[in-house]
Amino acid sequence: MNFKTLAAAAGLFACAVSAAQARPVSYEGGWTVIAERDRASSYGLVHYTPHYEWSVGLRTEWMRDEDLLFTGLQATHLVHRWFAPDSQANLYAYAGAGEAHGIDANPRGSEAAGFAGVMADWETRRWFVSYEARISDFGAGADAMQAARIGVAPYVGDFGDLHTWVMVEIDQRPERDEPVTATPLLRFFKGPALFEIGYTPAEDEAFASFIYRF
Amino acid sequence: MIRMTVTAFALLSLAAAPGLAQEHGDHGAHADDHAHAGETAETTRPEAITEALAAGGSLVTAEVNGMVCDFCATAMTRTFGRRDEVSAVHVDLDTKQLQLVIGAGQALDDATITDLVRRSGYELVSIRRGEEA
Repeated sequence: MNFKTLAAAAGLFACAVSAAQARPVSYEGGWTVIAERDRASSYGLVHYTPHYEWSVGLRTEWMRDEDLLFTGLQATHLVHRWFAPDSQANLYAYAGAGEAHGIDANPRGSEAAGFAGVMADWETRRWFVSYEARISDFGAGADAMQAARIGVAPYVGDFGDLHTWVMVEIDQRPERDEPVTATPLLRFFKGPALFEIGYTPAEDEAFASFIYRF
Repeated sequence: MIRMTVTAFALLSLAAAPGLAQEHGDHGAHADDHAHAGETAETTRPEAITEALAAGGSLVTAEVNGMVCDFCATAMTRTFGRRDEVSAVHVDLDTKQLQLVIGAGQALDDATITDLVRRSGYELVSIRRGEEA
């Protein structure tokens, strides 16, 4: 897949709809650090929100099976936010571009790489539902994934309390030996910090993520 | 090992859950202590708000849509907390209210508050000042 195809697909996604990251766009002037490890890759993202509908950041992602390391820029757009007194829903589109090269046992040199995706979520203080779809090309062929998540908070805390969520994420990655897997996870949330830990039994892989806002 | 770690986190989390933890309600000097809906504001205002009012500030209460988590509250407290006019900020997720104390001799008009709520990523419903706040 070349970049023209990737860009066209990104546009298509953005026009249609846009979930796994919690609030990928912050308040104006806010910085966010995100680190996540799922069954396929590990990534880090530091982003800044210059406008409440946009964030821009530096992303690095390690595709562990392919031993490919991506480094590039990511832009995320809050397409729309729906407000209600007890809930909010969000639609995001994002894209990133940079380079990817082989590490460890992979001798491949640097190649242009990119990705694009959409995320959507709806949440109350008790319930959480999200969806994300992403296409990517890190120079090893096009890849795609989609994931949906549902969560419930066993208790509702106030601002500053430790919030706990019990969640399940179902993801589909057609290229993998186990195309569809379920990952039960726990989310702990307090003030500007969010931490998640989970496990994907089908691949015996741990899931972990961390988000901090400052 | 992974299963044991997840289980341990779950148990730790439940032990720390409000309502289960014995110390819940004792937020001490927490700047965003909670004034729950239906309780008398005079007796349950956070310490930071009470102190700012005692220093001559004026209270503004804003109803805000979409505040469902600590990231929302953090966005609001940081956006308003860095304004010179604001001497104290408090967010109550139960009542969906943002409380501000405008410092003595300072002013923050409704249009600016509306704009700052929007820049935080949320939607303002109403603003009350003075006795109504």
